[in-house]
Amino acid sequence: MKISLGPPLYYWPRQQMLDFYAEVAAMPVDVVYVGETVCSRRHELRLEDWLDVAAKLRDAGKEVVLSTLTLIESESDLKALRRAATTEFLIEANEMGAVRLCADAKRKFVAGPTLNVFGPETLRLLGDMGATRWVLPPEATREMLAGLQAGRPAGMETEVFAHGRLPLAYSARCFTARRFNLQKDSCEFKCIDYPAGMDLKTREGEAFLTINGVQTQSAKNYNLQGELPQLVADGVDIVRISPEHAGTRALVEQFRAVLDGAAAPAVASDDCNGFWYGKPGLELIRA
Amino acid sequence: MSAKLELVCPAGGLPALKTAVDHGADCVYAGFRDETNARNFNGLNFDDKALAEGVKYAHDRSARVLIALNTFPQASNWSRWTAAVDRAAGHGVDAVILADMGLMDYAANKHPNLRLHLSVQGSATNYEAINFYRERFGIQRAVLPRVLSLAQVEQVIQNTPVEIEIFGFGGLCVMVEGRCALSAYATGTSPNCQGACSPGKSVRWEQTPQGMETRLNGILIDKFADGERAGYPTLCKGRFEVDDETYYAIEEPTSLNTIEMLPELMRIGVRAIKIEGRQRSPAYVAQVTQVWREAIDSCQRDAAHFAPKAGWMAELNKVSEGQSHTLGAYYRPWK
Amino acid sequence: MTTFTIPDFTLPQVLKRLGPRLPQLPPTLVLVGALNAAMSKRLGNLLPRDLLEPMIGKRVTIRVLDAGMTLRFAYGERGFRPSFETTPADLTMSARSRDFLALLLREEDPDTLFFSRRLLMEGDTDLGLLVKNTLDGIDLPRLDPAQLVARLSPAELLNRFVARLAQRAVPHH
Repeated sequence: MKISLGPPLYYWPRQQMLDFYAEVAAMPVDVVYVGETVCSRRHELRLEDWLDVAAKLRDAGKEVVLSTLTLIESESDLKALRRAATTEFLIEANEMGAVRLCADAKRKFVAGPTLNVFGPETLRLLGDMGATRWVLPPEATREMLAGLQAGRPAGMETEVFAHGRLPLAYSARCFTARRFNLQKDSCEFKCIDYPAGMDLKTREGEAFLTINGVQTQSAKNYNLQGELPQLVADGVDIVRISPEHAGTRALVEQFRAVLDGAAAPAVASDDCNGFWYGKPGLELIRA
Repeated sequence: MSAKLELVCPAGGLPALKTAVDHGADCVYAGFRDETNARNFNGLNFDDKALAEGVKYAHDRSARVLIALNTFPQASNWSRWTAAVDRAAGHGVDAVILADMGLMDYAANKHPNLRLHLSVQGSATNYEAINFYRERFGIQRAVLPRVLSLAQVEQVIQNTPVEIEIFGFGGLCVMVEGRCALSAYATGTSPNCQGACSPGKSVRWEQTPQGMETRLNGILIDKFADGERAGYPTLCKGRFEVDDETYYAIEEPTSLNTIEMLPELMRIGVRAIKIEGRQRSPAYVAQVTQVWREAIDSCQRDAAHFAPKAGWMAELNKVSEGQSHTLGAYYRPWK
Repeated sequence: MTTFTIPDFTLPQVLKRLGPRLPQLPPTLVLVGALNAAMSKRLGNLLPRDLLEPMIGKRVTIRVLDAGMTLRFAYGERGFRPSFETTPADLTMSARSRDFLALLLREEDPDTLFFSRRLLMEGDTDLGLLVKNTLDGIDLPRLDPAQLVARLSPAELLNRFVARLAQRAVPHH
């Protein structure tokens, strides 16, 4: 089982992001996804910078994938996408525009978690178009995965989001800007002040969601550490860990140790894994 | 100006379908009684008998019927979705509205003459994505997610031969359709897979001394003082605390209403306006269809002098969530 | 479009005070009679029995706020019947008589009334949706309204209900 580090979801200052990836080069991860997937306005790192980061990681022995935006609205978003699709790196396509560009150019690609691959027929078609790996939508259940694995095209790798705050929804509206009564077009890049997003609580003070610009995440960490034997049994090739503001290295090492049988799964009482079991996502079922 | 702007109205049942046709809908969209469509609510939707009658009723009056099969089938239930495509085709419906690529492939191969529309649940927000579906599966119309500004809608239209349908009125999804797992996270019921957001079984309204509380699977969504306008019990219209401030962190209870944009929508070549609300009653369908029919006809007669009548806006606000309206993402500052 | 719409009215306050002191059974009998009649073959199975299956064993309370009336009934395998339990029902719907009337005549959409806080639904929301959607799905124009009114008249319904009660020797539970 390989471990991947998903694309960075938060907006960190340039140096912090560069430092983070310098550290990643030494972490026991096999695959690293880089690039901005959440908001096209974020610009601390441009494509050229991401390509630099990618090259360094590749030189450190990592397989590097360039992730593309989840929500593509404007012509300039499309231009950025077209540029990303002509680099030397494998692309993670996170919407169908990117799939088209890759398929037309006969480029291999990773079918990202927002492509809504719930059924084997769709997976087969993506394979025909050039996908060599697909990522299970985080809201999918183990049962759905089993059905997809049974119909998986030969040579297609399966990746599962296994740790981190769940990316639950995307909008055209920026909720971080909204908190400050700002419009997205003049957002002052407020999300850079929230390296782990903003907590959203119910009126009873219960931690519920996390606001991260146009993305809404769970407040809880999704954690499939306890389910790793199931993932192995289901023929999953890669488990994805979502980068965090702090503690990513320890997390990666813990996953590696659990996979190697050298540590017991560490699951906190406020973690969640309900989606895997077909329950409300915020629930925690002990494996 | 391009072809006529069509009015596409919702039908949760046969009476709503007839009402929509009677009040001037060009197309009516509907679904079967199961999770093959994104309004899978108890008691709603069509069985074969009702659909047969509905199709005949509409066709006799030159209206068309579109069947939404816009959820995502899985390995264990694939045949339910393919059977639904076959049933729709067998009833002679005018198009099916699909979101799943696998199902599009099935429909295109099995029923080559069946018209395919790309559902809003397909999350296609740019022309590359839309053209992809056209090249691969021959879709003839795409319904755009409620995330694009008017200029962005125009950009899409100018770069695709696919007809573009947009939401003109009704409940407002703030999130990109097809890319929202908030309901699944809180309740275990997913719009993508089970065809319902904030299902009734998870909703509790309770009158308390502090006001009316709305809970979704026990999670407090909102608390309304007496007389305060309410909205649907969806997470995106709730009041929450962020950084010690309590407010509608995502969106207020409000509905989309683009009637004032009609001349612009026609100018940029929008092909169809969709009215949201298959979960609503025939009374809503009658009220909204009538206003929009009148508005579209008036704009088509004389776009230059078009102005929304106060009466239309009042009628539409009355049936709106929170009894207020917004232009949503079409108006850029909303974002 | 109908030209007649129900005017906005609230029953006089005196009724609200008086209502609770009046027997609630007769209006409840009328209501359950109407619902049962709507399920009968004679009325063309207007209310489809199969759709109501999830309602079996459920109790519903309708509170007509301005009339001070509280109608309690239940649905079982043999149809609707009055309920005499006073613990909270599975579903409670509250509104003024004017708004209930508007809903019945399909002049108002329940969501609209809910948004403006004129309709309150407490308890099992799914049950409420089922009731609402089932009622919305009834294709009324197929019926001759005059015939319907005659068959649903309170006197006729009461008669039939009493006759049915008399036939039954075994109580429900």
